Amino acid sequence: MSPGDATSAPAPSPPAGEAAGEPLLRAEALTKRFGGLTAVDGVSLWIAPRSIVSIIGPNGAGKTTFFNMLTGLYKPTSGRIVFAGRDVTRARPDVRTKLGVARTFQNIRLFGAMSALENVVVGRHVRMKAGLLGSIARTPSVRREEQEVRARAREVLAYAGLAKNRFDDLAVNLSYGDQRRVEIARALASDPTLLLLDEPTAGMNPQESDRLTEFMRALRDDLGLTILLIEHDMKVVMGVSEQVTVLNHGERIAEGSPAEVRADPAVIEAYLGVQDKS
Amino acid sequence: MEAITPATRVPIGARRSVVATRRFLERFGLIAALAALPIYYGAHDLISGYPAGFVDGHQVVAHNLTRLGGNLAVGFSNGAIWALIAIGYTLVYGIIELINFAHGDVFMIGSFTSVGLWGSLGLGLTTGVVGLIAGLLVTLVVVMAVCGSLNVLIERVAYRPLRGAPKLAPLITAVGFSFILQNVGLLWLGGSPQGVNDLIRQDHAVFHISGVPIQRGYILALGLTIPLVLGLAWFIGNTRAGRAMRATAQDPEAARLMGINVDATISLTFMLGGMLAGAAGLVYAIYETNVWYFQGFEAGLIAFTAAVMGGIGNVRGAVLGGLIIGVIQALSDARLGPQWTEAVVFGYLIVIMVLRPRGLLGEETREAG
Amino acid sequence: MSELRAQIEEWRAAGRRQVRRLPSWSNRAAVGILIVLGALLPFAFAETSGFLNATIISLAYVVMALGLNIVVGFAGLLDLGYVAFYAIGAYCVGWFGSDFFYKAHLHVGVSHFAGTLPGIHFNFILILVCAVAITSVMGCLIGLPTLRLRGDYIAIVTLAFGEIIGVVAVNGQGINLVDGMTLTAGNLGIPAVDLPYFPIVGTFNLLDLRPWYWLIFVIMLVVLFVNLRVRDSRLGRAWVALREDEVAAVSMGIPLVRTKLLAYATGASFGGMSGAFLGAYFTTVNAGQFAFSFSIFVLAMIIVGGLGSIWGAVFGALLLSYINYYLIPDVLNGLPGDFGLNFSLTQLSFGIFGFLLVIVMVLRPQGLFPERRRALELTEAIAPGGEEGAPVPPT
Repeated sequence: MSPGDATSAPAPSPPAGEAAGEPLLRAEALTKRFGGLTAVDGVSLWIAPRSIVSIIGPNGAGKTTFFNMLTGLYKPTSGRIVFAGRDVTRARPDVRTKLGVARTFQNIRLFGAMSALENVVVGRHVRMKAGLLGSIARTPSVRREEQEVRARAREVLAYAGLAKNRFDDLAVNLSYGDQRRVEIARALASDPTLLLLDEPTAGMNPQESDRLTEFMRALRDDLGLTILLIEHDMKVVMGVSEQVTVLNHGERIAEGSPAEVRADPAVIEAYLGVQDKS
Repeated sequence: MEAITPATRVPIGARRSVVATRRFLERFGLIAALAALPIYYGAHDLISGYPAGFVDGHQVVAHNLTRLGGNLAVGFSNGAIWALIAIGYTLVYGIIELINFAHGDVFMIGSFTSVGLWGSLGLGLTTGVVGLIAGLLVTLVVVMAVCGSLNVLIERVAYRPLRGAPKLAPLITAVGFSFILQNVGLLWLGGSPQGVNDLIRQDHAVFHISGVPIQRGYILALGLTIPLVLGLAWFIGNTRAGRAMRATAQDPEAARLMGINVDATISLTFMLGGMLAGAAGLVYAIYETNVWYFQGFEAGLIAFTAAVMGGIGNVRGAVLGGLIIGVIQALSDARLGPQWTEAVVFGYLIVIMVLRPRGLLGEETREAG
Repeated sequence: MSELRAQIEEWRAAGRRQVRRLPSWSNRAAVGILIVLGALLPFAFAETSGFLNATIISLAYVVMALGLNIVVGFAGLLDLGYVAFYAIGAYCVGWFGSDFFYKAHLHVGVSHFAGTLPGIHFNFILILVCAVAITSVMGCLIGLPTLRLRGDYIAIVTLAFGEIIGVVAVNGQGINLVDGMTLTAGNLGIPAVDLPYFPIVGTFNLLDLRPWYWLIFVIMLVVLFVNLRVRDSRLGRAWVALREDEVAAVSMGIPLVRTKLLAYATGASFGGMSGAFLGAYFTTVNAGQFAFSFSIFVLAMIIVGGLGSIWGAVFGALLLSYINYYLIPDVLNGLPGDFGLNFSLTQLSFGIFGFLLVIVMVLRPQGLFPERRRALELTEAIAPGGEEGAPVPPT
């Protein structure tokens, strides 16, 4: 990462939320304590609709813990989360998925014993209606739903870039890159409005990272998605984000446009340590 | 700012008190639940009194804690036996995260072997004290060796080949072994409980504490259990092999990389567990004066419950769990009736699992993600 | 020639990589043949044949195994207390199909003669419905405390529930309900429960086993059908997802509580149906029938057959039942005698059974007919994406 990179985003406007109306997601002073350890301390975050926001910070800064609170895997010790005008602070993860939040994981968590296609079909669970009795009877509406879901899953997988001949491969047998694609497809299958990606470019080479960056832009521009990203790859972060939030030791130490954050001394110190002033 | 609709519909005040209640329950509910039985019956005895024999033809009603004390004494003694067996379960689970379903039957084999040895050694009701003590010590050593080896054999045949297999496969082989051992017991001494010589006159009261008779059986049970448990604790804490056990229990791969012979350590763990089960078998035979091919299955369930109650993987927890269950059993047997005891014990198990799944002394389980 | 070999290798590799079921017509054909053969089977045997008796019991166990397979195999919830549902199903027959509640006079759809007897007498199908309803509810109640627990702890709690139900069954003769009628008859058992009655067919009796056979055969077919439908449905996928990775499943929108409780309830209801049938077939319901060893027996069936596999559960149940109820007591019993040994084989039945379990598991831990995916996991030693997820490969 170096200043003046050709791939930098143009000079940003202030956080779109304040200018353009209600933010899609509002996290207010979220704190998470595990016994004596405070993993996240009073972090607030506003995300405007149709934007791409990144969270960065050194390892152990609390980024994934923050994510887990947003998706409902952890209950915040204090603070509030408002998504699309609804207080979801104590809502279960599946309730949030139904409202439109989807995520991928830092260590890929596909359902290994299922094929790529089946993984994505499971991703669509919340948008399906078939129940126990309907499934047993296999009513025409259930049959139709299954066909539609499968067709949709194929579309999403293709959109995510998986080769057609791999659709029926077991998830464990796919290459790492393909597994990432399937995970994203699975998240997209629930028709989310907010997509949380946890280190999506981990393990990717520069070309793959660029492709993913383009893909994220397409998701925002074509599908109207809002994306919240945890990333370590600065090129990706600086290139695609409209807003960057920096965490260190569980606290927010900086927030702003990529350019502002890059120049922030607190951020530099967090990553590189205090500069020797000699 | 537009109104925020809550995704959940419980008013904030009510939700806060629910959370507070739950937290209170988690911390104190368990202790309260466990203490409930002795406290209730203690209070009952003190206030309403209980029949305590006849004087001059009149029923005496005592208002003291002697009866409760008697229950507790029985409870701790039985509990000591369960503790010895429970340690075996907890050690094995701690090191390979598997429930050794055959462990209770190893205990049963221990009892049967003891009885058989008594016959061979000529230990009987007329044996003198010195001969008795010598004979029992020999029996103890032999039984511990036999049961330790048996447990090692089970590991070798039923568990080791299935290290990489799905978690339930070793469960089934252990069950298979349990059946085999039960059949051995069945053929050895038949299908009905067998009376055994009351070698030490176990129900003789040696002394009294505030009127509570302390029987020889109690002294035997605790007298054997305490040194064995302390010895085991010392071994695990102070020897190289014990350290290897602790390391393997924490992280087998790392232990292997540090040069620890994980296979041998696992075998050692099984051996120690088996030895303790054997000792428990001997104590049981002397104390209950009764053996049965099915006793291992029942004892296994109880001891396993004890291990879980105390926190599976934790030796101190196993001992604590054993003692607690012994007391619950004794109180239930004496006050509610033995036909309900099993239900009471398992009821407590469910309460503990709901309020504190990691058990009384167990470690915090990892959170989601 | 080498091109051909290369092509064959590629097909085989693709076959191993992909999830492929047999084409659906072959499934249907197999089922069709099964139904025909199964329906005709009794005609090959005498009306009171020992083999037929063993087959009837085995089919009842198939239903049990299919039920437990849903809970343990599909949803991955290790239930060690399945005997509870057998007990409740059997007691449904004892309560609603006998003189046990002699103060009541309630008759629904029974034969003319049974209509004159005291007690509650429902038609057998109605009893089945009651059994399904009650066991489903009990399944949810038993499952509730386990929802937040890790695998082995679920086993412990369900085991505890199973034992408690057993104790209640034994002591139920001391629990007074109303007017001197007790909850159960303990170890003595509720005697002389009604024999099933259907219009046209008449009342079953124990001298002709064939109607019993057809009854349990039909029940089994229904349960099998439900299983096959549910496995490939939204709910079935949700169960497998929860089993594979609960955190990921929940994050994808699968409601944890509802999905798990449905697994418990569905599995329990099959146990209840089979329990009701066995209660009627054994004509008595006594507490001694409901021991922990039953739960282990059924669990062994689905593990030996192949955990999570429907046909595996069927096969495992048939295999273990036949060995236990036919092979050892009827066929091989005299074997030691043939060798001049002085005991009968049933005295060794425990040990033989245990020995078989050990052998099968050591030789083939994935079971005889593993769910296709699991076979792949084990034979190629690939770790599925679980707690840690797929490892990051070097790029």
